[in-house]
Amino acid sequence: MDILDLLSAVLLIIGAAFFLAGTVGLLRFPDVYTRLHALTKADNLGLGFTVLGLVLQAPGVAAGFKLILVWLLALAASATLSFLIARRAFAKGITPWDPEEHEP
Amino acid sequence: MIFDLLLVAALLWSAVQALTTPDLFRAVVLFIIFGLLMALAWARLDAPDIALAEAAIGAGLTGALLLDAVAHLHKKRREQSP
Amino acid sequence: MHCTHVVLDFGGTVTDLYLILAAFLLLNLLMALWRIARGPTPADRLLASLLFGTGGVAVLLLLAYAEGGQTLVDAALVFTLLAVITGAAFVRRVWGKEGNGHS
Repeated sequence: MDILDLLSAVLLIIGAAFFLAGTVGLLRFPDVYTRLHALTKADNLGLGFTVLGLVLQAPGVAAGFKLILVWLLALAASATLSFLIARRAFAKGITPWDPEEHEP
Repeated sequence: MIFDLLLVAALLWSAVQALTTPDLFRAVVLFIIFGLLMALAWARLDAPDIALAEAAIGAGLTGALLLDAVAHLHKKRREQSP
Repeated sequence: MHCTHVVLDFGGTVTDLYLILAAFLLLNLLMALWRIARGPTPADRLLASLLFGTGGVAVLLLLAYAEGGQTLVDAALVFTLLAVITGAAFVRRVWGKEGNGHS
């Protein structure tokens, strides 16, 4: 058994766990801003750990760099879109969720 | 095998929802998601080139154009019934 | 490239793990469909579709390494580009400055 395979399996499972956390956050969080926060966890860390796990299995240097390129592109995309959506939501007057208002 | 069954179920569900939902914006979002799932299905069917085309044209360009069309419709409706 | 079916201690292969994880991620994405049905603002629906984009990239990468089609990595690149296009079109065109956020 290969130590590289084991490492890659562990990284892939961590990535899948972050995807699960992101989805649960998207379903459970109360407003747009907190849901954005959950989504970026899935984007950055989930995809990041998945890519990291697959890079260890890449057939060559070029294929490995291509995987990392996919991740960098996703990072830039999610950062830009999070900023755009949050700014527009704030400009439209959606107030951030306040926990003190919702105390029982 | 489980993957394929899940994919088929998701494809059918999103297609039915996109056709029957009364809200136009929700229909467009469901159409984009249908395109993404269709691309995954093509990838699964060993046709990566068609998956590429489906993701770029079917979900990406058509989705953006439909979003634009929905925005124009909303603007027109607001002008007609203030 | 074809994955080297190295047998792990628990009896499965790495390729099996890829397919299991791909199915798990797809199940995750199906859970996100509920957010699209619920709303309440258009931005929430779009966030779910963005999660579909990222999850689709991860599933495509896993499929590429499970079945040995490096072309699928190119499709994953297109997926990420697509998320930017739909998101920007949404913010610029649909979710404009007018309105109360729930239109």
